[in-house]
Parts: sequence; C-alpha cells; structure tokens
Amino acid sequence: AAGSVGSVVRRFLAECGSSTPSRLKVLDAYLVYVLLTGALQFGYCLGVGTFPFNSFLSGFISAVGSFILGVKPRHLWIPQNKGKFQGISPEWVFAGFLFANTVLHLVVVNFVG
Amino acid sequence: SAGPRLRLAAAFSLLLLLAGAQALAPSHRLTARDLARLRAALERPFADVQAAFYSIVGLSSLGVRVADEKAACNFIKSHVDSSSVDSLFYAAQSIRVLSGCEVTISNETRELLLAAVSEDSSVTQIFHAVGALSSFGLPLASQEALSALTARLSKEENVLATIQALETASYLSQQADLSGIVEEIEDLVARLDDLGGVYLQFEEGIETTALFVAAAYKLSDHVGTEPAVKEDQIIQLMNAIFSKKNFETLSEAFSVACAAGSLSRNRYHVPVIIVPDGPAAVSHHQPVLRLQVTDVMSQPLTQASVKLDYAKSASSKATVLQQTAFALSGDVFELNFMNVKPASGYYDFSISVDGDQRFIANKVELKVKVSTEVGITNVDLSTVDKDQSIAPKTTRVAYPAKAKGSFTADSHQNFALSFQLVDVNSGAELIPHQTFVRLHNQKTGQEVVFVAEPDSKNVYKFELDTSERKTEFDSASGTYTLYLIIGDATLENPILWNVADVVIKFPEEDAPSTVQSKNLFVPKPEIQHLFREPEKRPPTVVSNTFTALILSPLLLLLILWIKIGANISNFSFAPSTIVFHMGHAAMLGLMYVYWTQLNMFQTLKYLAILGGVTFLAGNRMLAQKAVKR
Repeated sequence: AAGSVGSVVRRFLAECGSSTPSRLKVLDAYLVYVLLTGALQFGYCLGVGTFPFNSFLSGFISAVGSFILGVKPRHLWIPQNKGKFQGISPEWVFAGFLFANTVLHLVVVNFVG
Repeated sequence: SAGPRLRLAAAFSLLLLLAGAQALAPSHRLTARDLARLRAALERPFADVQAAFYSIVGLSSLGVRVADEKAACNFIKSHVDSSSVDSLFYAAQSIRVLSGCEVTISNETRELLLAAVSEDSSVTQIFHAVGALSSFGLPLASQEALSALTARLSKEENVLATIQALETASYLSQQADLSGIVEEIEDLVARLDDLGGVYLQFEEGIETTALFVAAAYKLSDHVGTEPAVKEDQIIQLMNAIFSKKNFETLSEAFSVACAAGSLSRNRYHVPVIIVPDGPAAVSHHQPVLRLQVTDVMSQPLTQASVKLDYAKSASSKATVLQQTAFALSGDVFELNFMNVKPASGYYDFSISVDGDQRFIANKVELKVKVSTEVGITNVDLSTVDKDQSIAPKTTRVAYPAKAKGSFTADSHQNFALSFQLVDVNSGAELIPHQTFVRLHNQKTGQEVVFVAEPDSKNVYKFELDTSERKTEFDSASGTYTLYLIIGDATLENPILWNVADVVIKFPEEDAPSTVQSKNLFVPKPEIQHLFREPEKRPPTVVSNTFTALILSPLLLLLILWIKIGANISNFSFAPSTIVFHMGHAAMLGLMYVYWTQLNMFQTLKYLAILGGVTFLAGNRMLAQKAVKR
C-alpha cells in the first residue's frame, strides 16, 4: 500500500514535469510556495493560539488571496484554453495580476497591525 | 345698542348659576380678624377732610359707625375748603353718611360745583363735582353732566378715570342714557390680568381693583342691570382683593372696605363662603359637623338653606348620605353625620347653599374625616416548638396589661403573636396603616421593628424565628421588651403597648463580641479596579521559531525556480524595463514603510505616484516584449 502511494506520487510528479510548459511550472512553484505559507500560518494558529488575531487573519488572507489571484493567469495560460481568451494578451494578464496583488496587500498591510 | 348684549350676559350668568357649574372656590375672604385689622386701619384720627372721608365712608361700607359722630361732623365743617371741588366732595360724602350732620351750601359753592361739570375739567373733577352736588342734595343736569363725562372720558383712556366715570354715572338720573358708561364695565373686565387662574386684578394694583368692584356694583344697582362679570371672575377678583391683609395707606383700606361692602350687599352677586367650623372631622365624641356659611365679610347668612348633596366614601365611592339639610344652630350650620354610622375613613362631601338667587360660589366640596377608636382583642402570645413535638403554649393577654413571665425564642422554638383589631364603636374589623411589633434590647438599647400582617380573616400574626431573623438582630441574644404599635390618621387612640418580655437566644458561634452600631454613614470597603488582563502570549522562542519556519517556503520556491530553469535570460536592460522593476520594488518597499510608519492616506498618495510610473513603464516594457514575440 505504501508502495502504491509512493508510486502514484512519483508518476504524478513525472507527468507534471513533462506535460506542463516551463512558464507554467514557474507559476506552479509560486502557487505551491503560497500554499505552504498559508498552511504553516494556519498550523501555528491552531497550535499556539489566535493572539494577535488580526495579524493571523491578515497573513492568512494574504496567502489565500495571492493563491486565488495566481490561479487566474494559470488558467489563462494553459495551451488548451488559448482559443477561448483571444482578446486578452498575456501581458495584460500579468498587469492585472500585479494590480490586484497591490490592492490585496494594501489591505493586508493595513490590517496586520 | 348695549341692551341685548347685557341681557345675553345676564342670561349666561344665570345659566351658570342654575347649572351649578363647578366654579372656582374662593381662597380668600375677610375673616373676623381681618375685619378687625381693617377697622383699626380706618379708625385713625382724621388728618384732613380726605382722611375723614376715607375713614367715615369706609367704616360705613363695613356697616360700622364712627365712634363720635358729632366730633366728626364738626371736624369736617371746620376743615372743608369751599374753594376746592375735591374738598367739597369729601365733605359731602362724609356728611351724607353721618347722622344728624347738616350743612348749608352757599350759592358760590354751588356755582363752583356746577362750573366744574364741563368738558374742560378732568374726569376726577367732574366726578367730585357731581358727587358733591348729589350728596348735598343740589339739583344737577344729568344729561349735560353725562355728555361732559363721555367727552372727557374719550380723552382720558386710563383705568382709574373709567372707574371714576362709573361712580359718577351712579349719581346721575336714570332719565339720561347711561348705557354707554355701563358698557365700560365689560371693557374694564377685559383689561384685568389673570394670575394663575386664581387671582384677577388690574396691573395698577389691588386698590384700583377694589375701587372697580365697588363702582361696578354701585352703577349696576343704580341702573338695574346685572354687571357683565362672570361668576369665576368675581371669585378671582375676591381672591385678589382680600388677599391683602395689611394696608399701607388709608386709601387702600378704604378701597378694600368699599369692595367688601359692595360684594356683600349688591343686588346681583353675593359670594358665599363655606368653611368648616374647626377641623372637618367627626367622631363618636364629636358627631356633629359644623359649617360657617357667611358672606365675604364673615357675616353669617342665617337665611340660607344649607344642604348636603351627597357624602361619598373617598375610598369606595359609595354614597352614605344624600339630600340632607343642615340645621341652623346660632351662627353655624350643623349636621350629625355619625347618625348614619359611617365606617372610619375619609368622605367627600358636596354641599350647596341656596335661598337667594344672588348667591355665587355656593357649591363646595369638602373632605371630612371620620375617626374612631381601636380596640385590640384576642391577643395570644405563644411559643411554638419547631419540631412540632410539644404543643404550643398560649397565653392570652388583655390590653393594657403586660403578660406575666417571659417567653423564650431560641433554636428549638419560635415566638408567635396574634391579635385582632376592631372598631370599638361599631365592632367592625380595622386595618390601620401602622401595625408594628417593636423589640427593644434592654441592655444594648438596640431595637428591631417588624410589621405585623393580617391574614385573610383579618387576624394579625407575627412570628419570630431566631434562625431567620438573626441578621436583623445581629445575633445579639438577650431579653427584649416587646411593644405593639398601632396607628392611623383616622384613629383617635394610637397605641403603644408593652406586651411582654421575650428572651431571644441565638446560637453561640454567631454572637458578635461587641454590638456594632448599624451606622449607615461609615466608609464602605474600597472597590479595587480590575484592569483588563492582557491576553496570553506564546513564549518568544516559539514565535521566533515560527517566523524562521515561515520563511522556509520562500527558500523552497527559489530552489524550485532554479530547478525548473526560470528564464531570466531575456532580461533586457531597456530603460522602461529598469524603471518598471525599480517602480515595482519601490511599491513593495512602500508596503513595508506603510506597515511601520505611514497611514492609509499617505500610502495611497505615494502608491498613486509609484503605481502610475510603474504602470507606464510596464506598459512600454510589455509592448516591446509583444513586438519581439
């Protein structure tokens, strides 16, 4: 059983590595980072306590928000979906991503205390 | 013309009288003492003819004659100034009142007086001239006098002149059309000031108001028309005039005397004063309610018929007596209220006085108290065993004796007291306001008072349980004297009765070493303010470790990026690119500064600038990239 889980994971990683273009892989790495950061914060809160609650919330929301904002460009960049989104150039997607992140972090920094 | 208007006013007043409207009750009158003071103010030695006039005519209004009429007559005759219309007026009026005082008037004097009755003289001059001529019995042309008066009055519009015009008109013959002057009464009434709904007076003062009342009734009696004053207004005028009990000047005293005289003797309105003689209370010893029914000068109206419309219990509103007449006994009216055997308490009496159509304020409401004596019966003192194992020992005591022996209340037995309160005269059960049981510690002087409550059968019960009541006693054991206190407003014999001695034993461990005085005014224990506890924080080690841990995913990201081979080779050093990256870095730096120092508004300002620059640079950079692609 352990072996089968391990083999499934290895096969998944291999598939990931081959089928996704490198640009997307960069983005995926970023998303994984954000995910880990959020998870760690949540774990700390569960373990040690919610004081100060506002700081925890702002940090956690920053992680969650960044993840969500990061998913959108990925969605737009997959080759399968290229046909659907003709009007928007990748550059503009990036600009939008930057702008949304700025707004999010403005709020987060305001709240972190 | 004024005729229909006056008739309407008269009809309205009559309607009010007949309807017995709830009129204002008079609050002031001339009591016997006030009358004596007024008389004393008027009975001063004469200083001059004017003073003599005030004294003589004022006293006659009160129905009193001057002590020495002959001396008064001589005084006037010697002091009158025949060249002054005013002096002649005072003399004439005084002589008319004094009996057996004759004087002859020379032709010059007569000419002087007749000449004064003209448009060129002031209203006062006309008034004095007309008054003098009339009182001396000299002929007078009424119509000409009237026209002179009316003409002059239209020039002098003040209150005093109008009042004097009223007086003047009362000397003129009825052949002349005096209705114009009579209408002035109504106009003057409109000028009175209402003070709190109780008083009505001119702003010129009490003297003017009193003179007005006297003049108005004098004129009304003369012409035979009811004055246009409402019943409530008359009472308010009365209240104002008779509120003055001390008179600074002779003229003030004179005016009040004239008003009093006219209000008790005119043809139209006689205010009635109904007051109880002594306190308005009856009891078995004093069963008769006495009323003084008088006019404003405290003269009893013995011709009146005084009737009780109804007497209702104040609490239950049940009518106990109605339509009963009061009997005249000397100067007071009496009614034996105890004949109907009323229960003790307060009663609302409604009394009306009839017998003369002129009576006003002749209905009054009185609160009468019926008192009685209380008796305490069936007084049982007992000690009740808590375990119910021993039968209670009951001792009966009769008031006012004291129970022999003492009773004990301790942890095994309670002390109980029961009694009944009855009306000695009627035998009915009573529930007085105050039924207290007072226990007085003989040694320490401490006293504790309890209320005895009646049960459903009106039997009063009091029980002393040492375990329940130890806080009231401060657990001080000892011998206590028991008193029973009974009191009420309607009881003639309040009771303070030393019933028995009670030994109270509290459990030893509760007894205080000293008896503290239950002083309310000592400082109370201080309250310490509890500040908000700061929240529990994790140890610094833990949070530092976590901070380091949080940075580890960043490391992972960099490793992953290198492994994937993030492409930075296409990085061109075009100015727009550099500006874009610098701007972006600056924005991130701004976030940090915002966290540490700035507020939202400053941040937004800087962000706008940086954002704008970055956006433009980024735009160019991406456009270039797109071109390249």
